[in-house]
Amino acid sequence: MPSLADQLLGQTRSRVLGALLLHPDSALHVREVARLTGASPGSLHRELRALAGMGLLVRQEVGRQVHYRADTASPVYAELAGLLRKTAGVVDVLREALVPLADRVGLAFVFGSVAAGTERTGSDVDVLILGSAGFAEVVRALAPTQEALRREVNPTVMSIKAFADKLVAGDGFARSVAEGPRLWLLGGEDDFAELAAHREAQAARGHRR
Amino acid sequence: MTLQNLLRIGKLKPHAATAAEVQRLLVAIERSLADAQVAGLSSEARFDLAYKAVMQCALVATLAAGYRPSTHEPGHHQTMIQTLPLTLGVANDDWIVLDALRKQRNANDYTGQPIAADAVAECLRQARALREALLARLAAEHAQLLRQHG
Repeated sequence: MPSLADQLLGQTRSRVLGALLLHPDSALHVREVARLTGASPGSLHRELRALAGMGLLVRQEVGRQVHYRADTASPVYAELAGLLRKTAGVVDVLREALVPLADRVGLAFVFGSVAAGTERTGSDVDVLILGSAGFAEVVRALAPTQEALRREVNPTVMSIKAFADKLVAGDGFARSVAEGPRLWLLGGEDDFAELAAHREAQAARGHRR
Repeated sequence: MTLQNLLRIGKLKPHAATAAEVQRLLVAIERSLADAQVAGLSSEARFDLAYKAVMQCALVATLAAGYRPSTHEPGHHQTMIQTLPLTLGVANDDWIVLDALRKQRNANDYTGQPIAADAVAECLRQARALREALLARLAAEHAQLLRQHG
């Protein structure tokens, strides 16, 4: 199914914006944009000029080459990047990669700097995978996404119970994940709230004992 | 990437392995693997020991091939993982997992990210497979390093 961003913006436009707005540090030549988006350089010239005309991209001449990068000063940059982060970017790519394991993954989400939108060049994408899937199969499923995302993907894989136990124990990692922002790949906030409520019930039982 | 390339960019140095050092490291590998299975240790501690065995296997294979890592260079763990397909013929499917284990170790060491039970089991499985591949390679191509030395 085409992603929400593809449906809203059109496939080429959402991919171009995803490639540039989610990597605001990089300035790309049209051929690099073509490689990352799968669109033809011919149609991209027009698209990139149009997006620069709207003030979403900055056009730079580097020697005889033209490079484009995100215009982070655009008044809608943060909102548009946020939309893409949840749709055209990280989330769709990772979710698609996890589909073959979906029957063994209960909850999966991105946490940390990428989820918070505070990532820098070189930040890993931290993914928490809760379910019965094994570490090695998750790593193999996610490995090909690293090229598409131009980031290292570092999954933490554990059972739902192991994570719930960590929450009960007040483990710092589990707490920061529970309190921080999440980009959902499989499952959603309701499932997570249920897990957290289960944990509180467990803790209460523990106190009574 | 070849071992010669890693030598040229300063990640490896030339080295003439001796039977004494190789056999000392083989004993250390056995000890790391045994300690990684000690009940009562945390997942993090067992993972560290299994990961250490992975590094030791990669090191011995590199020494036997005539090189050693430049340990003062940043990223020598990454270099050691990089050498595995070159020294022990590790397949890409396993290499991906080994490199992910290296990242788990970094995330645990530097951000306190926990090590889950299955990551420990996988690290141990990979370490054992590397030990088997290493012993087979030494017996087939570097038998002199396994002989009794004086």
